[in-house]
Amino acid sequence: MSHVLSPVRGSPPPRRRGDRVRTTVRGLGELLLTAGLVVLLFVFYEAYVTDWTSAQKQRQATAKLDDTWRNGRGLVDRPVKGAGMAKMYVPAFGPDFMFTVLEGTDQDVLAVGPGHYPGTASPGQLGNFGVAGHRVGKGSPFNSLDLLSSCDAIVIETADHWYVYRVLPLQGESDGWAAGKGTQPQCRGVAPLPGRYANVVGKTIVLPNQVDVIAPVPGQPGRAPVNRLITLTTCNPQFSARERLIVHGVLVTSYRKADGQRPVELTAGA
Amino acid sequence: MYSWIWRHLPGSRAVKLLEALLLVAAVLTLLMLVVFPWVEPRLPFNEVTAG
Repeated sequence: MSHVLSPVRGSPPPRRRGDRVRTTVRGLGELLLTAGLVVLLFVFYEAYVTDWTSAQKQRQATAKLDDTWRNGRGLVDRPVKGAGMAKMYVPAFGPDFMFTVLEGTDQDVLAVGPGHYPGTASPGQLGNFGVAGHRVGKGSPFNSLDLLSSCDAIVIETADHWYVYRVLPLQGESDGWAAGKGTQPQCRGVAPLPGRYANVVGKTIVLPNQVDVIAPVPGQPGRAPVNRLITLTTCNPQFSARERLIVHGVLVTSYRKADGQRPVELTAGA
Repeated sequence: MYSWIWRHLPGSRAVKLLEALLLVAAVLTLLMLVVFPWVEPRLPFNEVTAG
C-alpha cells in the first residue's frame, strides 16, 4: 500500500502552466488557513494556557504570604513590590474565590494575581485601596466583575485584620435607597455617599486614561478622603482594552484576626 | 505547502504520520512557550490598570 502512495520517482511529468498556478493558489490558501489557526490558538493560549501558568504562580505567592504571616511578619507599612500583601475574597463569586493580592500593577505582577496600585491606601485605611486584575486569562481574577451587585461583599484579609467592603449603590439605585434596597440585610452600612463622594457609584465604565478613579476621593484627585473605599479595575469589554470597568466599595466592618476564625460574611456566603 | 512537506517526509506511510504529528507538536510547543509569551505583552488587550 505504502509503496503505491509514495511519490513516483524518476522522471516526473513535465509541469504545465496551469499546475504552477494551482500550486501557488493552493499554497496561498494553506498559508491563510494556517494563519487563522494560529490566531485561534492564540485565543486558546490567552484564555486557558495563561490560566494554568498563573495558577501555579498564584499558589506560590499564597504559600509565601501564609509563611510571612505565620512568622509574624507582614505587618510592615510598605509592602515589597511583587510580593503578596493581602488576600481577597468575593463570596458572590463562590466560596472558593480567593486571590492573593500582590504589590504593584506591572504586567509581570498581574500575571500572578490582582495587584495593589502603589501609593493608594492600604486595606482598611482612610482613602482608596486600589486593586487591578485581569479579566481574561492569567487566572481571570476579575472575570465576573461586571456581575457584582450593590452590597456584594469584598473581603480583604491582611496579617492582622479582616476588612469587609461592600459595593456601593449602582447608578440609578441611589434614589429611594433608604426605603428600597437599603433595607436588605446585606446592605447594612451601605448607602449613597454624601458630599464630595456624591458622584461615586458602585460600578462605572471609564476610559483607560481616567486614573482619578483610584484617587483617595474617586474622580477628585487632591481632595482629602473621609471614607475608606476599595476600587477594583479591569479591562472592558472582555478581550479589549478600549475601556476600564471600575467597581467601588465602602468599608462596612473590620475584625481583628483571631485564631482560625473567619468573618461571618465568608461563612454565611452573604 | 502541506503536501510538499508530506512528500518530503521519509519512510512509510505510518512513519510519515508519526513524523507529521511530531512536527505539529513541535510547532505547537514553539508557539505556546516562545512565540505567544513574546507577542502577548506587545498586544493591547491585557491592560487592566487605569492611567
